[in-house]
Amino acid sequence: MKRFCIFLFGGMLLLSLAGIVGAATTLEKIKRTGVFTVGTRTGSPPFGYINKQNEWVGFSIDLARLINQNLEKKLGQPIKFELKESTPATRIPLLTSMAVDLIAGTMTDTRARRESIDFSLTFFGTGAQFLVKKGSTFKGVENIAGKRIGTQQGATNERALRERYPQANLVVFPDQPSGFTALTQGKVDAYTNDGIQLWGLKYKAPNPNDWVVVGEWYTYEPYGMAMRKNESDFRLAVDGTLMEAIEAGDYFKIYDKWFGPKSEVPYPMSPEVKRFLMMQVVPK
Amino acid sequence: MGAMVGFFGFSYQFRWSVLWQAPHGQWLLNGLLMTLKLTAVSWVFAVFLGILFGTLRTVPFRPLRMVASAYVEFFRNVPLLVWLFFWYFGAPEVLPESVRQWAIHHGMEYWSAVAGISIYHGARMSEVIRAGIQAIPKTQLESGIATGLSVSQAYRLIVIPIALRLIVPPATNESLNLLKNSSLAMTIGVGELTFATRQIETYTAKAFEAFTAGTLIYLVLCLGIAYVMNRVERKFAIPGLIARTERAEH
Repeated sequence: MKRFCIFLFGGMLLLSLAGIVGAATTLEKIKRTGVFTVGTRTGSPPFGYINKQNEWVGFSIDLARLINQNLEKKLGQPIKFELKESTPATRIPLLTSMAVDLIAGTMTDTRARRESIDFSLTFFGTGAQFLVKKGSTFKGVENIAGKRIGTQQGATNERALRERYPQANLVVFPDQPSGFTALTQGKVDAYTNDGIQLWGLKYKAPNPNDWVVVGEWYTYEPYGMAMRKNESDFRLAVDGTLMEAIEAGDYFKIYDKWFGPKSEVPYPMSPEVKRFLMMQVVPK
Repeated sequence: MGAMVGFFGFSYQFRWSVLWQAPHGQWLLNGLLMTLKLTAVSWVFAVFLGILFGTLRTVPFRPLRMVASAYVEFFRNVPLLVWLFFWYFGAPEVLPESVRQWAIHHGMEYWSAVAGISIYHGARMSEVIRAGIQAIPKTQLESGIATGLSVSQAYRLIVIPIALRLIVPPATNESLNLLKNSSLAMTIGVGELTFATRQIETYTAKAFEAFTAGTLIYLVLCLGIAYVMNRVERKFAIPGLIARTERAEH
């Protein structure tokens, strides 16, 4: 028994030493394992969701695929592209525990979050609004007092409502599908999330005409891809891919696929947003 | 702790103050109070249902036994999480609209959680109580009836008081399970302790501190309850009826 304990302890010590030696940057880890793991959503159309053919697809996922291609070129080897589910409440822990290398979904870039993680360039801009049943008298934050608002745990809009509109009655769900179900059953008067995601929910619902997106943006939500801190090389790889995609037009092709006039969630890009995206591309 | 972490090359910064600085401390407290409220109310209903159906499974009338068996098998063989979704997203839909609207504005999340937890744990508790009743020699019931008591009087005055004292250890186990299962209520929007720890974690990104707080609080609650039940067990033990590790006091 005593010898067994010594062996066990020695083994653990060796393993932890190996851990120190093995503590690597993200690029080293991807090169060594040959796998690029991306955390994304499963219930947030059209950024990351399961479509009718049971495939896991989305706008953010397509952008992450571009990054995968760029990594293959940069590291000179084939890299497997793997997706993992992440929700607002789990995405930062997944990242810091190295379970995923990148979060590509609907994550808002904020200064507070930048204290724990790094963000890529902004790849989409939207703001928080409300989804209500057609015919509802709820119009936005002006008449929010006492209303039951469904929201997701960990989302920026939940925090904004809690801090700026405490008169609202928040009902917090762990994910988007539960919150939307609560809305369809009348358990909440409105469901709040980023405007574009509400449009996605509306168009994916059995009867899109039953739902209306209301309210001015009460927050500004620039979406960025999240990664661990102190990874300049990896961050350059990600930002470089996005810049190249915007410059060469691949980004706009993907945007058209998911938000264009023929898509399921038409959301025309305003000239200001296009200009903003193009100005993020610094010269080579 | 920080030095050890630094030695192993992690870059995590500990900040334990997130647990008590406002508003996080208040959330933790509110979560704890909600857990206690949910547990206490569900426990009362679960024990009531447990005694009712545990007894019915042992009475000499077959129809009653069948009803009780159906209840137990139906409710304990489905995961509690599924029951919570049923009671919150499913059951209210069949209520008339006005009743539903009233319920929505009067804490439907909380009462759906109470319904789910107490009915599920009622089924489990009834098995424990049934075991206690069946551990009592049949002669007790027979002699009770022989002295002129009706079956229900014999159960109420003789069998159940003994059974309840016999089953304190497994009943404590089930009660602790109930406390821990109350954490599932967060999936239907109840702001209890686990929800509060997750809230702190998503606002501050200090996962280790937040989840340590949750772990410690649950641990203290469970150990506290176990200690109290241990005292109860020793105080109400029936000398000679169960094997004991120490000599029974008189």
